[in-house]
Amino acid sequence: MNSYEHTIIIKQDLQENQSKKVLNKYEEIITKNLGKIVKIEDWGLLNFARPIKNNKKGLYFHIKFDGEGKTIDELEKAENIDDKLIRYLTVKVNKHDLETNYFGKKEN
Amino acid sequence: MKRNNRRKDKKKTSQNSKLSLFQKPGFKFFKQCPLSGKNAPVVDYKNVRVLKKYISESGRILPSRITSVSQKKQKELSRAIKRARLLAII
Repeated sequence: MNSYEHTIIIKQDLQENQSKKVLNKYEEIITKNLGKIVKIEDWGLLNFARPIKNNKKGLYFHIKFDGEGKTIDELEKAENIDDKLIRYLTVKVNKHDLETNYFGKKEN
Repeated sequence: MKRNNRRKDKKKTSQNSKLSLFQKPGFKFFKQCPLSGKNAPVVDYKNVRVLKKYISESGRILPSRITSVSQKKQKELSRAIKRARLLAII
C-alpha cells in the first residue's frame, strides 16, 4: 500500500449537486479498486492563474487515499474520458499530512 | 625593503578587506539556505505562499545562485513549482 494525494478540477458551470456526483463517482472507483480514502478536502472555487481551455475558474477537490498502482490506473482511465473535468494530478507521498490545509475552506 | 613589505601588506589587506578586524562577531559571508534548517517553511506544491517567493514576475523559477537555496531544496522547489503550475495555482 502506498499513500497518494489526488486533486481534480471540475468545471465551474455545473450545479452543486452535480459536482458532488462527480466526486462520489471517483470515490467509488477508488474504494472498489483496493483503495481506502483517508481525507477529502474541499478547496472551493478558485481563480486560475491562466485560462485553461477557455475556463477562468474551477472547483478544486483534494483526495488523500491509500492504494496501489492499479487504483490509479483505473482512476485516470475514467478521468481521461470525462469531459466535466478540466485537469487532475496524482502525487505519491511518504506520509499523509493531515494537519495543515493550505486552502482554508470548509472540510468534509 | 621595508617600503616594499608595507606595500605588499597593504595589497593583501585590501583584497581581503571583508575579513577585517572590524567585522561583526557573528558575520557570515555566504547566506544560509532559507529552506533548510529548523523552522524552515515546508516546500510543497500546495504551499503557494512559499513558492511565490522563488519565482520571477513572469513566472520563471529563480536560479539558486540568486536565492541561495541549497541544491537539495532547489530540486524539491522546482518539482513543486511545476506541479503547482499544472494545477494553475501559481
